[in-house]
Amino acid sequence: MSVTASAAAGARRGAGRRRTGSRTTPGSAAEQLMPRWLTRSVAGVLVVVSVVPVLYMIVLSFTPNQNVALGTISLAQLTISNYTSMWSAAPLAAGLVHTLVIAGASALLSVSFGLLAAYPLTRFKFRGRAPFMTVLIGVQTVPGTTLVLPLFAVLSWIQTTLSTQFIGTYWAIIVTYMTFGVPLSTWLLVAYLRTIPRDLEEAALVDGCTRFGALRRIVLPLTVPALVVAFVFAFLVGWNDVLFASVFTNSSTQTLAIVVQRFANNSAASLPVYGELMSAAVVSSAPVVFLYLAFQRYLVNGLSAGSLTGV
Amino acid sequence: MAMKTDVPAPSDSGPAPRNGGRRGGKRPAPAHERGSLLERFVRNQRNRPLWMLLPTGIAITVIVIVPVIITVVLSLLNLNVSTLREWLGAPFIGFKNFVNAFTQPNILGVTLVRSIEISFVFSILTTLVTTPIGILAAFSVHRRFRGSGVVRAIYLIPYVIPTFVTALVARIAFANGTGFVDQILGDLHIANRNFYWLIGPHAFWAMQITEIWATWPFIYLLALAGLQAIPKEHYEAASLDGATMGQRLRHIVLPELGGVLKLGMLLSTLFHFGNFTLAFVMFSSPPPPSVEVLPINAYFNAFSSFDFGIASAIAVVTMVILIVPAYIYIRATRISEGG
Repeated sequence: MSVTASAAAGARRGAGRRRTGSRTTPGSAAEQLMPRWLTRSVAGVLVVVSVVPVLYMIVLSFTPNQNVALGTISLAQLTISNYTSMWSAAPLAAGLVHTLVIAGASALLSVSFGLLAAYPLTRFKFRGRAPFMTVLIGVQTVPGTTLVLPLFAVLSWIQTTLSTQFIGTYWAIIVTYMTFGVPLSTWLLVAYLRTIPRDLEEAALVDGCTRFGALRRIVLPLTVPALVVAFVFAFLVGWNDVLFASVFTNSSTQTLAIVVQRFANNSAASLPVYGELMSAAVVSSAPVVFLYLAFQRYLVNGLSAGSLTGV
Repeated sequence: MAMKTDVPAPSDSGPAPRNGGRRGGKRPAPAHERGSLLERFVRNQRNRPLWMLLPTGIAITVIVIVPVIITVVLSLLNLNVSTLREWLGAPFIGFKNFVNAFTQPNILGVTLVRSIEISFVFSILTTLVTTPIGILAAFSVHRRFRGSGVVRAIYLIPYVIPTFVTALVARIAFANGTGFVDQILGDLHIANRNFYWLIGPHAFWAMQITEIWATWPFIYLLALAGLQAIPKEHYEAASLDGATMGQRLRHIVLPELGGVLKLGMLLSTLFHFGNFTLAFVMFSSPPPPSVEVLPINAYFNAFSSFDFGIASAIAVVTMVILIVPAYIYIRATRISEGG
């Protein structure tokens, strides 16, 4: 789930020594690593392999249900009706709203927590800093199933003790997504804040700015790009999750992923509505893909850029 | 954990106050050592706002570290539907859950040993296959050419599509007889149209292929970032010395890429090991025994048969398996980051 973020950790080592490089200028012949024919065939094969299943999904999303079920797909029968009928076949609109609320709120909280922690972690030396950083990396390796069981046990215990309903509310699922969002965004922001020179703040401090004023006026504006990146990643954790949502949401809070997953299981039963299922799949992935592609340079560079300079 | 909570303590900064007191006779104590304890704390926090660590510190403690400890506790208790709500008072049964998990098959007929096997093969095989693909992909777009931007964007698509969507498409693509995999294999006379990818032993391979399709760009991203970090001058120097393409690969690229790749392979294995969503969404529920990876096994023990003790025991076993790779990962990250 959080692998994209871990990519930041992995790529951190080298990047940035030379961030411009072949990104802006065409590579010279000296940089060629494979014969041209091999480069072209690798790129060709991988592009086809990457695109075909996606095209398959898109074509199916425009194919009537019974044709998908029978496997008789023809381009002559394409119709847009799946995209209009799917909304009544499953509570997709509600799922979309729930996902936006849940993923948005947990991402916002995670980024706020992360920014607060990243600042002292990159600016001060103090006892406990190193263990804090180690824990920050360590918790990212804890698998989701190890967290879902105790969180369920604790939440149902709280429910019984206080005799209130907690599992199924927005708060339950928002808090559980923060288990990934907080370490993730703290980590990304630590990597980024390290690249902002301290001199800027120190100049402001000399000029009579308070610590907090310097943070607000100098550091925060420079950090906006990283905040956006951290928000997007934390948001996508919520958008993509199935494990936690299948346990901690009910029909009034279930996310898009859960609506689509249940739709798949129900529609397998008697009359398969796989055409509508695929249009729901397109709707579930389109925003994510567009988000990534729009931020592509930003994300890949932003991810790998972070670290290094301060070392 | 304990070390984390005492981070914001005021004594963190500057020399200890008593020294300041003794020196006070000759020259005035430094500003940060004057005033009452509270005043000093406030002043310290104004200059070094370590309190800002509190939200993250508390959140990580309460929603990650404490739950992990609770999992260990749960794995030693006799839990079922009725005792779960008051799990604090459930009977302690030692390692009985672990014994049961290892010896008795769960409601889907899979033992813990079998699940460990499946998870190991699944995660290691995926990493072994995706690594060369990712490296080749990075090599193919490292040097800019017309359209390389588009190719780079397309390379990302399998990775950025949500796992549950990939799983649904795979479910239809591998559908018996009607999915495009069976149709193509049938048309090419490679296999029977009734291959039954989604049930029985073939299900594992359907899941394996899907995971490889969806995750190779992870290694690609890391390898590309590593390649871009190699200074251009190295290549130029090498080509001035008349190095061949093979020599450039061996002496410049591979040494620089080695560290990133090792870390990437480790991370990728950790990630595949924890993949719950693919098996959960790709197959009907419950999934066939051949795809019963550890997270699925724990999940169905907990939320189908409500055997929370055994499920927690499985989660603990998972953590124990992951301790070594996690430790290596943490160390590598700490070192590369310079403390």
